[in-house]
Amino acid sequence: MNRFNVKRIPASWDGAALRRFSRSTAAMLLCVVVAGYLALGVASSGSFFEGPSVRVFLQYLATPILIGLAQMVALCVGQLNLAVGALGGFTACLMGVLMADHGVPAGLAVIVGLLTATAIGLVTGLVIVATQINGFIVTLATMTILLGAQYRLTGTRTVDGYSPTLRDLGTAAPLNIPLVFVTALAAAALLAAFMYRTVAGRRLLAAGGNPLAARLSGISTDRQIVAAHTLSGLLIGVAAVTATASLPGVNRSVGGDWLLPSFAAPIIGGVALTGGSIAVFGTVLAAFVTRLIDAARAQFSLDPSWVNLLIGLVVLGTVAGGRLHQTRLGKTGGTAAPPAEGGKQPPAVLPQPGGAR
Amino acid sequence: MSTVLLECHDLVKVFPGVRALDGVGLRLTSGTVHALLGENGAGKSTLIKVLTGVHSPDGGGLTWCGEPVHLRSPLEATRTGIGVVHQERNLIPGFSVAENITLQKPPSHRGLVDREAMTAPALACLAELGVDLDPHQPVRELSVAQQQLVETAKALYTESRVLLLDEPTASLSPQETERLFEVIRRLAARGACVVFVSHKLEEVFAVCDTVTVLRDGKSVLEAAPLADHTHDDIVGLMVGRAHAATEMRPRTVDRTATPTLVLDKVSTAGGHRDISLEVRPGEIVGLYGLVGAGRSELVKAVLGLDRITGGEVRVHGRPARISSPRQALHKFGIGYVTENRKEEGVFLEQPIVRNITVTVWKRLARALGFVSAREERDVAQDHVERLGIRVAGLGQNAGELSGGNQQKVSLAKWLAADTRLLVIDEPTVGVDVRTKHAFHELIWDLARDGLPILLISSDLAEMVTLADRIVVMTDHHVRGEVDNDRDYDRMSGRVIRLIHDRADSSADSADAKAVSG
Amino acid sequence: MTTSISPPDTVPEEKAAGHRMPFWVNQRLGLLVLVVALSVLFGVLRPAFLDQRLVLFPLLRDVATLTVVALAQMVALSVGHMNLAVGRMAAFGAMFAGLGYDRLGLPMPAGLLLCLAAGAAIGAVTGWLIARTGVSSFVVTLAMDFALLGLVSLLYSALTEDAAFTTRPSGIDELRSYSLADICAGPVCGSPAVPQIAQFTVLAMVGLGFLYGCTRIGRELLLTGANPAAAELSGIPTGRRVLLAHTLSGLLAALAGFMAAAGTGTFRASIGNDFMLPSFLGAVLGGTLLTGGVVSVLGTLLGTALVGVIRKGLDLLGVGLESLNIYLGCVLLLALSADRIRTVVSYRKVVRET
Repeated sequence: MNRFNVKRIPASWDGAALRRFSRSTAAMLLCVVVAGYLALGVASSGSFFEGPSVRVFLQYLATPILIGLAQMVALCVGQLNLAVGALGGFTACLMGVLMADHGVPAGLAVIVGLLTATAIGLVTGLVIVATQINGFIVTLATMTILLGAQYRLTGTRTVDGYSPTLRDLGTAAPLNIPLVFVTALAAAALLAAFMYRTVAGRRLLAAGGNPLAARLSGISTDRQIVAAHTLSGLLIGVAAVTATASLPGVNRSVGGDWLLPSFAAPIIGGVALTGGSIAVFGTVLAAFVTRLIDAARAQFSLDPSWVNLLIGLVVLGTVAGGRLHQTRLGKTGGTAAPPAEGGKQPPAVLPQPGGAR
Repeated sequence: MSTVLLECHDLVKVFPGVRALDGVGLRLTSGTVHALLGENGAGKSTLIKVLTGVHSPDGGGLTWCGEPVHLRSPLEATRTGIGVVHQERNLIPGFSVAENITLQKPPSHRGLVDREAMTAPALACLAELGVDLDPHQPVRELSVAQQQLVETAKALYTESRVLLLDEPTASLSPQETERLFEVIRRLAARGACVVFVSHKLEEVFAVCDTVTVLRDGKSVLEAAPLADHTHDDIVGLMVGRAHAATEMRPRTVDRTATPTLVLDKVSTAGGHRDISLEVRPGEIVGLYGLVGAGRSELVKAVLGLDRITGGEVRVHGRPARISSPRQALHKFGIGYVTENRKEEGVFLEQPIVRNITVTVWKRLARALGFVSAREERDVAQDHVERLGIRVAGLGQNAGELSGGNQQKVSLAKWLAADTRLLVIDEPTVGVDVRTKHAFHELIWDLARDGLPILLISSDLAEMVTLADRIVVMTDHHVRGEVDNDRDYDRMSGRVIRLIHDRADSSADSADAKAVSG
Repeated sequence: MTTSISPPDTVPEEKAAGHRMPFWVNQRLGLLVLVVALSVLFGVLRPAFLDQRLVLFPLLRDVATLTVVALAQMVALSVGHMNLAVGRMAAFGAMFAGLGYDRLGLPMPAGLLLCLAAGAAIGAVTGWLIARTGVSSFVVTLAMDFALLGLVSLLYSALTEDAAFTTRPSGIDELRSYSLADICAGPVCGSPAVPQIAQFTVLAMVGLGFLYGCTRIGRELLLTGANPAAAELSGIPTGRRVLLAHTLSGLLAALAGFMAAAGTGTFRASIGNDFMLPSFLGAVLGGTLLTGGVVSVLGTLLGTALVGVIRKGLDLLGVGLESLNIYLGCVLLLALSADRIRTVVSYRKVVRET
């Protein structure tokens, strides 16, 4: 690493990027994913490396990735979205009912679903901005409303008589890579490009990183909040489409267990809850990790409750470990780094944790 | 030929409980450097926020090049041609230097950010300021001074015709300041108008041509040539002659008494090295330094909020290891009136009575922790009267009070707790002139009653008025100590010399930092 | 969990939340009027609504349980935190009670104590994690929620045959079905509408009312919520207060879990599944601020009662169960929007007077 320090002009962008990556959460997660996958393969005496297992593994990875990304977009402007599962479930049921009961062609139903999810995200954002009510409460309310709406659409039945075309697409796996997984990766790539490359994406991040500064630079934080919820809605819509396509049928329980995974992926992936940071790659990898836990559970035929327990513990461990690591860095770093940084540390740390020491 | 770029007349801006602007006029002419002066709380910051579209005025109007304009947002102000460097640091921590500089108008191509095109103009702005920084470095890795320079570079980038600089030199070294002045003069020569807001009159006289003075939300001097006025004239206008001279009652300090607080070669995890100072009963010791010098951080370390890595703290003659502000209060009787009144001092949305009695509940509590509401009110009432806090009732929320009264509430809780040592941090930032004076008298009288006081301030005049000794601190080190003889000019000369001595060595280290970064 | 929207400035005066408001904006009075008015309305539309034994008794039993749940949330909110794991802490506590009755043959009060201790312990662990690491309570309690969801189900399936403890200690059936009508002073008996299980609710309310209204600890909890940095600098041990708040929150959640289990008669993992929404509804409608520093014990009861009355009334009016949630979500948004409008109006008024 010292190699890069020697250069007089520090604009060795690749070097700096590489150095940052090697220290990053993503690198660590990558190791965990590879090691976990190998371990599972060995434990299953190789059957886990075979075609069908890989396909099933990736098939059910699409939704966790997409809902994690949806939550990440909300987190990056300092908001959160409790309605991830409810909106996803509602959209999936809407599409199912449209296709099965009203004979709407699959393509049209998917478009309607995506538009509806986006529109609901937009409305959520508008309500938050217009009423200035805490986003937590607003999304709690939309979650409740959407759960009711989802129940109203399907009642207690399971809607399964819908388009075989969509089904086929949902289970199709050219080169043994499921189409839905490719969709999720494409969404992640597009989102990364949007966040890193476009002006609109940078505005979102700026508003999350320092709302006051963003406002003084002419970026409307209100608009960014609306934009983030809209984008979050769109991603949930995509998640709902992949879920509808790959599930045997949709009912009122779709989306019911999306809430924790949606938070787990970005948090494990290294996204701060305070806003201003994103980690698309990290979120995707974290979704991998949670899926690995699920796969391991199936492999050893354990009680499904283990998944919840383990994911809960992993999230706790990640945030606690990360924070402790950070404070230790801050304390030891203070002696070596320029004093201003060390001096800035205490006030920055003080307010959030309640000054708890 | 010079034209009037921005003009405003009879501006009024009202916040609950205070008329922040009450008839302000301002005329900004191209090719000039314009000083905007006023005491804290005179309305400078509010005026800047109105001029940059953050607040809309409640009365009066703006004209731009003779045409009336309404600035509804900061973006509109930028588009009109008004740029600003705010007092608070307004950078996005996760973004690179280049991205922060170009934040308002990112070079883009069909909605895509063009990172390559960003680097060149950012480097140009930095070069103009004579700063050597890596444009790809995230700003959260920069020092306070470096961040302030990035902030200034950001304003240069927008090529504004009117550029407002709100206290741009607060954390700069003299060399950096001089370089900034050159840039300011160059901008003015190109036909811009630079508005310079500063507390340091020496700097104002060094760089400005015209001046507007605000007092109590009104403009008392409007766009006058600075050359027509002396230093004392300006101070008189800022302070208001009625308040200029009040005599303090005599006060003497027993220099042989045991010091209440002694720091003996204290080092902290925050970067302080070998800090030594002592405070005796009845003495006001001033801790002077610029923003970012590490004064408040030192006090917080003494209170147990940061780790002390070396040296010894002695309180009342005995070595003390203080682990928390709670212990500092209950065991050692140390109170700390913070500089961040709104963030750390008062509970804005809680009633005044709770704000004052928070430190004495432990004393008032009876069985089961029961606190009598009547006793609580009595304590609060006593201190409201003693400090002359203007309140509608004890149940009023502290957030509804004016800045000065909030500050008094913040002080009252420590007086209620009968502290035996008081640390007062920037007590008069953001309070009006009258309250400031009342505060000075109050601090003086507390010391007269024998209370040892450590006063932190970056207002040298305040130091000269109050302190018995002034300890000068820069860059987390004590640079020296001077006995106060209450002569402003002589004292400022001596204090500035102490700061300058450090400047040469730190300029070297700043270069070193840039290289290693 | 702050939204990044705030008034565009640092001027403190903008935060002028009215403290001396006219009576018509008093939230608690408004709630009371609303609860009574709605009850009368439903009573007129469907006389069955006022049936003491068949409608009001179960309604009040639900309200009693959910009030305790909302109080558990309120305690966490008082220090500016949240407890997303209220439901699971309830299940966790109830599991210990069930275990005590089933395996140890404990009498009812002993099982209740075990339940409360378990809830307090899990709350304390949560609080300790938050205070020690400084991670947002949202994340910690969310993760705790899922960890407990897994743990409780695992323990039930490991310890029981059909995932429930069905042993009932003596006294628990009485607790479930007895009302004030079963307490008679001579010929005068109490109302058959008020369930005896509400005694726990009353006890919790009185205790919390005393804590927040009269004691040092209660005030310190509120100030910790209002401004943690200022509280720490004012000598309040904020870390310990956070720990205390979460411990109390866990304890109350466990109490609610016990009440719910007593109400249904079995101790199972699904207890508390639907506690999270009512806990926020009750507390927030009652006037407790999400940002911390302001609580209302009575308001929490009234908020919960309002939700209960609306739920029951709509149910009797034939609005399907599925649509109830839609209306409740709307009620929450409307109530808070109204609150927001009041704040804006009072702010404008103060500005005009200046």
